[in-house]
Amino acid sequence: MINLNGNVTGTPNAMKSVWEAGSLMPKADNANARKLDFDNTIKAIEKYVSRVDELQQSSDMSIKDLLSSKNEDIISVVSAAAKADMSFKLLVGVRNKLIEAYKQTMNMPL
Amino acid sequence: MEVNNTFSPVDIATSGLRAHSKQIEVISSNVANARTTDVGNGKPYRRLEATFKTEDDGIEGVSLDKILTDMSDFPRIFDPSNPKADEYGYVSMPNVNVPIEMMNLTIATRAYQANAAILKRYQQMVETTLELLR
Repeated sequence: MINLNGNVTGTPNAMKSVWEAGSLMPKADNANARKLDFDNTIKAIEKYVSRVDELQQSSDMSIKDLLSSKNEDIISVVSAAAKADMSFKLLVGVRNKLIEAYKQTMNMPL
Repeated sequence: MEVNNTFSPVDIATSGLRAHSKQIEVISSNVANARTTDVGNGKPYRRLEATFKTEDDGIEGVSLDKILTDMSDFPRIFDPSNPKADEYGYVSMPNVNVPIEMMNLTIATRAYQANAAILKRYQQMVETTLELLR
């Protein structure tokens, strides 16, 4: 289960519920809940992709405006490019991690 | 992960870059007009000074507050051949002191570099954090 939520305060509760269940292994009747969680993950990633896309497009637009001398503020271009770069790197990192997890799952001997 | 929170150091550093480039603009105006004896109303050029303020309370960026004029006296130099000279042969010059402007330029340039360094270092920090994903 991949949890993209960076909410640290949520972790102790989750740990506690696992502890109370008496086992660290997920149970079969949790399958429905897990499916929903993976659904949420995919939705969160979709949202993040569209936000990254917005940042990339605004960076693109500011570079175009600079080159067509519509805008002479080079600082805003640098800022937009830095934001687009950082968010894209995070997206690529998360994507690599997801694909790695998928591959590991598919290579599992049955 | 909230995107706005991640980018706040970028926005703050950007506001610092913008404010200090504006200050460098003011200093360049002072240096360019260091010998302007008439700004249109018969008076010499008055030195300008940029002041900064925080954009908001708390952890926020900086923005240009006001561009104030230096109301100190004009220095008078003896130059009887100058058409602007009064009956005693003295000319009022702008109250710009070029060596002081050069010092201010160095301060503004260093502050600009510091903001650029923060931007660069923050990007490196984010990359270091993303290394943990691999």
